[in-house]
Amino acid sequence: MKKTITLHVNGDVYELSVEPNETLLDVLREELALTGTKKGCDSGACGACTVIVDGEPILSCMTLAVRCQYKEITTIEGLAQDGVLHPLQKSAIERGAVQCGFCTPGWLLSAKILLENNPAPTREEVRTAIAGNICRCTGYKRIEEAILAAAGQNTE
Amino acid sequence: MKVPGFEYAEPESISECCKLLEEQGVNARAIAGGTNLMMTLKNRLKVPKMLVDLFCLPELNQIRYSEEEGLNVGALVSLRHLAANAVVRGKYPILARAALDVGSPQIQAMGTIGGNLCQDTCCLYYNRPPMWRQGLEPCHKLGGDVCHAIPGSKTCWATYCGDLAPVLLVLRARIGVADSKGEKVIPLSELYSGDGKAPLTLQPGQVVKEVQVPGPSAHSGGAYLKLRVRKTVDYPLLGVAVTLALEGAHGILKDVKVALTGVEKAPLLIEAADELKGEKDTDKVIERLAEAAYKQAHPINNTYGLTPKYRRDMVRVYVRSAVHRSMEAAIKKGGVA
Repeated sequence: MKKTITLHVNGDVYELSVEPNETLLDVLREELALTGTKKGCDSGACGACTVIVDGEPILSCMTLAVRCQYKEITTIEGLAQDGVLHPLQKSAIERGAVQCGFCTPGWLLSAKILLENNPAPTREEVRTAIAGNICRCTGYKRIEEAILAAAGQNTE
Repeated sequence: MKVPGFEYAEPESISECCKLLEEQGVNARAIAGGTNLMMTLKNRLKVPKMLVDLFCLPELNQIRYSEEEGLNVGALVSLRHLAANAVVRGKYPILARAALDVGSPQIQAMGTIGGNLCQDTCCLYYNRPPMWRQGLEPCHKLGGDVCHAIPGSKTCWATYCGDLAPVLLVLRARIGVADSKGEKVIPLSELYSGDGKAPLTLQPGQVVKEVQVPGPSAHSGGAYLKLRVRKTVDYPLLGVAVTLALEGAHGILKDVKVALTGVEKAPLLIEAADELKGEKDTDKVIERLAEAAYKQAHPINNTYGLTPKYRRDMVRVYVRSAVHRSMEAAIKKGGVA
């Protein structure tokens, strides 16, 4: 039986009718057309579907949309504000931290949470923070550097 | 992978939650963080008609501490919040460590302490999508009567792979279990049946409500070491938790506890540990514990990566190292002059 829920996504309020078995990932992509959130393994192991829900980095493929009633959700589409890229996005472009791009939305959101809680992370802390975001191009070094640079840290 | 359809229930109280689960029996499952259950559903390993949402019970999402009672963690506290809690970090550092060793940061943000303890056993032949399983006869855990991990076995050998259970066992944790009639407190060890097919002793309608951990003793130290192929995401292929306490200034062993995960159908508390109380010879303590753990561990060929032989050999190595580190931590706290 469908259930009506209210989601707050990137500052917009959506009222949606969803089946209890729909994942947040499918609702974001299929209902709201927010396809920046990627479907990778769809089994909780790759982090491509990472979004921020009430300040926590979560896997939208492992989350039932029906459980997100009234939650504040940030997807990659909500990172840039008024057409101005987030410092992490700028840094990713400047440092060439994007290869195929599939893991990028996920790690950018993981990094956003990291910098909110720890504005001056060490390289090790950066690695730990993005440990749940698998990059199959294996371009981790540039990703680390982009995050460190966005935090104003030495990237050498 | 679509999750099979189900009815979604939002109980308003823990008693309503237990009552629903009791009435529905095997047709209903409780859902907390969902990191374990969602894959069970996606892989159609279980197809419940109803999911009862424990997140409707925010009273189970609290951490309390007092000198007399020790630590009390509600079952729905996320691993991320558990690891970030100042009391947990200060007084129970191995619990914080183990929480940060679970899965990935996202899994830690979603997964809960209660859910982690109630994690189902895993097997290479069971935790697979339906299409993959089509080529094999249904195993014991799927309701059949064969075991693909140990051919010929009359029982299921699925392995318990939770990270928090060994740590909470050595910390002497007890759990509050609620049902429709009320609640009871039992030692954590009684949560585990030792049956790979049905690893928990909980009956339909019973829910883990909280975890109680006594206050740490003076001059004590601990360690949790996890063996896995990658430093992230993976379940433990072996996990060793140790706590020990030293007597005064002479380094005499007052108490030691060792528990393993990833090498049996339930988390394993090493039995020899109690006989070593009062022992002065550190090397003897370490060797006796390493041997006892080696004997009790039975890793089998049902996990990704690393052979059972290697994992069993590493039991000795990891126990030695974890006891060593625990002693160092205890000495640092003033256990030995």
